[in-house]
Amino acid sequence: MNNPLVQPDPGLFIWTIVTFLVLVAVLAKFAWGPLLKMLDSRHETIRRSLDDAEQARVELERLQGQSIEIVRQARIEAEAIISASRTDAGRLREEMRQKAKAEADALVKSAERQIQLETTRALQQIRHEAVDLSVMIASKILQRNLSKEDNQRLIDETLQQVEAGRR
Amino acid sequence: MAFQEHAAGAAGATAEKFDAGRTIIEHVSNSPLEHPLIHVPSVAGIDFSVTKHVLMLWIVAALVGAVVTAVVRRYLKQDRPIPSGFMNALEAIVEYVRDVIVQPNVGRKWANTWTPLVLTLFIFILCANAMGLVPIFEVVGVLDHWVLHTGPDSFAKRLLHGGTTATANFNVTAALATITFFAIIVAGTKAHGFVKHWKNLVPHGLAPLLYIILVPIELLGLLVRPFALTMRLAANMTGGHIAILAILSFVFMFAELFGHAIAGIGVGLAVSVPLAVGISALEIIVILVQAYVFSLLTAVFIGMAIHVHH
Repeated sequence: MNNPLVQPDPGLFIWTIVTFLVLVAVLAKFAWGPLLKMLDSRHETIRRSLDDAEQARVELERLQGQSIEIVRQARIEAEAIISASRTDAGRLREEMRQKAKAEADALVKSAERQIQLETTRALQQIRHEAVDLSVMIASKILQRNLSKEDNQRLIDETLQQVEAGRR
Repeated sequence: MAFQEHAAGAAGATAEKFDAGRTIIEHVSNSPLEHPLIHVPSVAGIDFSVTKHVLMLWIVAALVGAVVTAVVRRYLKQDRPIPSGFMNALEAIVEYVRDVIVQPNVGRKWANTWTPLVLTLFIFILCANAMGLVPIFEVVGVLDHWVLHTGPDSFAKRLLHGGTTATANFNVTAALATITFFAIIVAGTKAHGFVKHWKNLVPHGLAPLLYIILVPIELLGLLVRPFALTMRLAANMTGGHIAILAILSFVFMFAELFGHAIAGIGVGLAVSVPLAVGISALEIIVILVQAYVFSLLTAVFIGMAIHVHH
């Protein structure tokens, strides 16, 4: 055992154990312990942050979906309102047109009747005037007074002749 | 490694024949107990003198403890803990060790209990391994040889004896493996209770005759695990250094062979330095892998004590 490579050295052995144990104790207390605790807590923090982010994302997606739904609903309602007012306007226009036409028709009809009435009356008047005129002329010509009956008979005869002439 | 200068200094001091084997062993082993850095009286027959490897352990522990604690403290003091700079790297290591090494083996329930130990093992071994690749004391040697000119038994001279890789010493790795050994027992005891843990060593409900064979095998296995950890780390750390030193020894061998320093320097520039650089690059991978393997196996063994599968 003269080779220094394989010489047992209990002093060195014990020094190594002492040195190493002191190092382990110091590092475990001041370095590894706090560091491992911090790593665990950071791991937890990162996990929580990711969870929060995921939750926020889901919430945002939900809100986005909601807003899209609201816009869609609004568009549908607007379209319904527009189409309803369009049909209302059409109907109103038609109604007014109809009413105006009816009024115009009634006006024309009443005017026609009036005209007919007036015409008839005018004709009658003219006839009477003519008769009176004829009678006056005839009496002047005849210079005599015919009896009332003669008068009437003459009138009727003349009228009939006129009537016949008109036909 | 700027080992050349130191070796040149050593070769210059001992003008006689160059003994590669002796020089290499002197450069990877601990400084001799007869010439410790700080002499401490023996307690119960154990020499507690501070040798080179004890000093290296202290340097590594102080460096790791101070840097890690300072970085974590500063980071946690912020209002909003946002990692930046060195903290990013540290956090990556912490999360890697916890989520990839410890948790799959130990389980979620016990992960935070055992992560500090495995983390400390990983960083401590990694830094101790890495320290062995940095030729700090060789610089002290050069300084002493040309500038300081201290006496033959000065502190600076004593600093030069021995390798800088504490984890290449099997006494150190045995101590670390012992910590793993007890961690396994503590883990099993915490999870199942003291008696139940020892009962878990062997499967239940087998023929009584089988236990006569099984119990010694399992007890042996219990001791083989830390032994394997001890040897794997120490041998891996020693191996790479021996390879580098052997290649660098060509310089002095050839110088001696041809009786001229030019031959040695020529071989050094053409062969030794490129090869040593390549192996040093390989060593960077080895120090990472060995730190990883040690901490991973510790986590696996602790996990086996907690989750008993037979």
